Formats: sequence, C-alpha cells, structure tokens
Amino acid sequence: MTTNANDILQELARMVVNMDEQGAVAAAHRALERGVDPYVAITEGLSAGMREVGELYDRGEYFVPEILVCSDAMYAAIAVLKPHIETSPDRTPVTVILGVIEGDIHDIGKNIVKIMLEAAGFDVRDLGRDVSAESFVNAAREAGSGIVGISTLMSTTLRNMTKVIQGLCDAGLRQSFGVMIGGSPTSAAFARQIGADGHGRDAKDAVELAQALAGRLAWRKTG
Amino acid sequence: MAQDRMSPKERLNGFLTGGRLDRFLCVPLVLNHAARMSGVKIGAHNRDGRIMGECHVEAYRRYRQDLITIFSDTAVLAEALGTELRYPDDDVPRVERPAVTDPDDRSRLRSAAADAGRLGVCLQAIGTAVAAVGDEVAVSCCFAAPFTTAACLRGTDQIARDLYRNKDLTHELLRMSLDLGKRFADAVIDAGGVPVVVDPVATGSVLGEAHFREFALPYLQQLDAHIARRGLPVVLHICGQTSRILDAMLDAGAALLSVDDISMAEARDRVGDRAALMGNVRPAQTLLQGTPEDVLREVRELCAIGRECKGGFVLGSGCEVPIDSPPENVEAMMAGVREHGRLD
Repeated sequence: MTTNANDILQELARMVVNMDEQGAVAAAHRALERGVDPYVAITEGLSAGMREVGELYDRGEYFVPEILVCSDAMYAAIAVLKPHIETSPDRTPVTVILGVIEGDIHDIGKNIVKIMLEAAGFDVRDLGRDVSAESFVNAAREAGSGIVGISTLMSTTLRNMTKVIQGLCDAGLRQSFGVMIGGSPTSAAFARQIGADGHGRDAKDAVELAQALAGRLAWRKTG
Repeated sequence: MAQDRMSPKERLNGFLTGGRLDRFLCVPLVLNHAARMSGVKIGAHNRDGRIMGECHVEAYRRYRQDLITIFSDTAVLAEALGTELRYPDDDVPRVERPAVTDPDDRSRLRSAAADAGRLGVCLQAIGTAVAAVGDEVAVSCCFAAPFTTAACLRGTDQIARDLYRNKDLTHELLRMSLDLGKRFADAVIDAGGVPVVVDPVATGSVLGEAHFREFALPYLQQLDAHIARRGLPVVLHICGQTSRILDAMLDAGAALLSVDDISMAEARDRVGDRAALMGNVRPAQTLLQGTPEDVLREVRELCAIGRECKGGFVLGSGCEVPIDSPPENVEAMMAGVREHGRLD
C-alpha cells in the first residue's frame, strides 16, 4: 500500500478518535478520490480508530459520551464509503442479533457493545431495548445462524434471559447460534447456569467473545 | 438471636445527632420489591398512592428496616414535565418517548405542580406510611436528581451527545429538572417524608469526572443545599461504577452517600470523615441470586469495614433490592446487622 493510502487510513482513524464528524466525512471522500479500497478504509481506517476509542474507554480516559460522539463520526464516514464496497464471500460478516431483554429500561451499554461489534466487522441487527424473548428467537430464525447477544442492566430482568435460550432450543436453532450475555447484574457463573456460551464483562470482552464464538460457528459449519 | 433495643426512628435520630446506638442502621433499598413481597402487581403499586404506601408498611412490618424508601422509578419527575412512559402490568414503568427527542421541539415540555401526576402518588404513599408507622420509623421518598431527570427528558443517548454538541439545551433541561426537584423535595418534607436524591444516570458507568462536575454536580449542590436549608440531612444515592466519581460526589454536600459498585474499604479510605457511607450488599449477585448465608457473610465483612468509617456507616444495598429477591435474603441483612453490627 502506498504511503498516501496509509496517510488516509490514519487520518480516518484520527478523525474518529478526535470526535470530528465533518473531518471523518471529508477523509472518506478523499479516500474514494485517491482510489483507496472503501472496505479497507472502513476496516483499517475507521475501525482502527474506533478500537483506539475502545482502548481509551478501558483506560478510563473516554466515557460513554465520547464513545457515542466518536461513533457518530465513524458512521457518517461509513455512510460515504459503504455504497462503493464490492461484496465478496470472504467479506460476508457474521450476524449478531443484539438487544436488551424485556423489562429493561436502559440500553446505553448495549449501544456501546453494538458500536464496538460493528467496528470489529460484525453485522449487528439491533433489536433495541425492552425486547421480548420471542422477538430474539424470531430474529434468529430470520438470520439462520450467527450470534445472539442479550444484555441487561437490571437484576429484575435476569429471568427473562433464560427464556431466550429456551426459545432458541425449542425452535431448533440453538446449535446455529452462539449466545452471549452481558450487563452489570450478569456474571460468568450466571451465563453457565442458564446455558449461555459466554459472558462479556464489558464491550471489549464482548467483542473478543463474539470473535471466539464466530470461530466456533465456522468450525461447526465445516466440521 | 440478638435483639434491637431502639426503634428505627430512635436509631435514626441517634445517628443524626451523634448519640449512642445499639447497632448500625440498616437500610436495604426496598422499593418496588415492597409490592412484590406484598403480592401486589407493580403496575398497581406505582399508580395508586394508598396501595403504594400500604405495600411499604407491609414490607416494613416484615423487615423492620431503619428507613422506609418510597419509590416507583427515576422518570417520575420527567413524566410530570412531558416525557411519556409505558406501564407494564407487573413491572416498573419505562420511558417510551422522551419529551424532547428533537432539540427544537421544546413545546412538549410543560410546567408541573409538585403534586402533579405520579408525584402526587408518591406524596400520598408517604402520607399513608407516616399515618400507619410514622411513630416508629422515618419515611423517605427517593426521587431523581436533575441530571437523571434531564436524561429522561431527552433520552440518555442524546443527552450524552449533547454534553458535547448542545450544552445550552442540556443546561436548560437541567434547570427545569432542578426547579421541579426543589419543589418536590419541599412537598415530600411537608408530607412528613425525608427526601433521598438518586442520580443513577450520572454514574461513573456513564460519565467521567469532568462531565460529572460540569453537568451533574452544580445542580446536585443546589438541590442538596435546598434540602439542607429545610433542616434535613441530605442522602445521595448513585449506583453503578462509583469509584471514578466518588470525590465529586463528596462535593455535592450530602451527609450520607449511598454507593454501589466500589469496595467499601476504598470508599472508607477516600471519604474519611467528610460524609457517612451507606452500602453496599450486592443487589444481583447476593440479594437476588445468593442465599441467606451469602448475605450474612457480606454483611459481616461490611460491618467490619463500617466500624472504621470515620464519618459514620449505614448498612445498605448497593442499589434497589431486586424485585424478585427472596424475602429471606432481606431478612438475613437485618439479622446480620443485629449480629455483626452491634455498637453497644
């Protein structure tokens, strides 16, 4: 790759980290003008910036407002680049069905996880907040395979997580999906107890878990 | 089993005046759990003040905790100002449509009397509880601090962005929230209750200290000063990650800080004698999913740390006692404080 293209990738990343939406959009246009592969501009430019934002969050230098404003810059630039991407089979992303379980009024943690999953290349179907177990299962049926991520911030809604896993089993979909849970009242022990495949402590952990589960799904398909 | 020698009210008065106590105060945040353990649907409890008050009286008669804590949800003030909520039959209400989804659309905001809508429900619940058991236990009412109310008026994701993009709107919403908060605090006090300020959106799980100081703290300080002028101790509860905002929380001027996700030993060391600390039996892991033995173990550890809190200590739950917590676990908190929290 030319130095020129590298400069543009770095600029895309920097605009995301600097919360500069207009700058990110301008850099995306420049990337197209200079012939940078728009797929690479997203994965190695914007997403790299968002990963750095995630690291700043882990270190306690960035918080929820910063992540949201950075992600706005990322999404604005993605909107410029995406229409120019040529699809190919090796670029087909794994689907993550993501939602906050029924009964929960908060969704800010889930939104952060969504941003970081998208930055990591997953195709996230966001069901929003206060999602019923039935809606999770219906979305899974539609997607066919992938990952289901269930989040909650409220201890009162934990019991509803079990219903999603039961629903996936009843629909014969459990083998086709990795199931991960997250949110402050959840724990690895609780994930094991309800038969989920894993527990994400935070957004970074959730991305790593999703990558591991995606690997396992690919192995299941070929094996 | 160890017996109490003071009534909850005597104990609270002793705590506030620096008198001798038989044991630590114990305040599990029994909120909507009061409805569940009384066999009343949550949706009925938080729309009828008499029912709400009766649920809390029943919970008190079982647990004998040191403070009754009336509460429905953190959007009650925002609802009075124009945010629309949805009411599940047997769960807490949730924000359906914030009043100001579009920054230009402020027409949906309205002025509200201090007893408007469900503010009146909470006030009636206070009156009901005070009439029934007010001679032996103080009755408090938890309500949202300005930042949390503003988040319910605007939507949490939006207000988080506005901290960068629309500071003017944020401060405008905060001023409205503060104004109603002060008037509601007055109404709570006039009804015989004790205001408890909760600011769950201004948590370290969402905000860094700089934004907390810029947007949450100034309004908390004004609300707390207003309550203090009425001669009452200010209780401030913030749940979630507490460690990174603890120093700023101290600057709010509260006499009692209720903390959630922080080690009590760290809180003790950082707070010193500048405030009393309340907390922090883990709500989900221990009160909901644990056994009475788990609760007792945690209570014993907390009471040991509590003895070293120079500003005073109240045994509490980190956040709301989960609705479905086994009542035996709340009873274990009370038994634990009688066993491990003796001060005589």
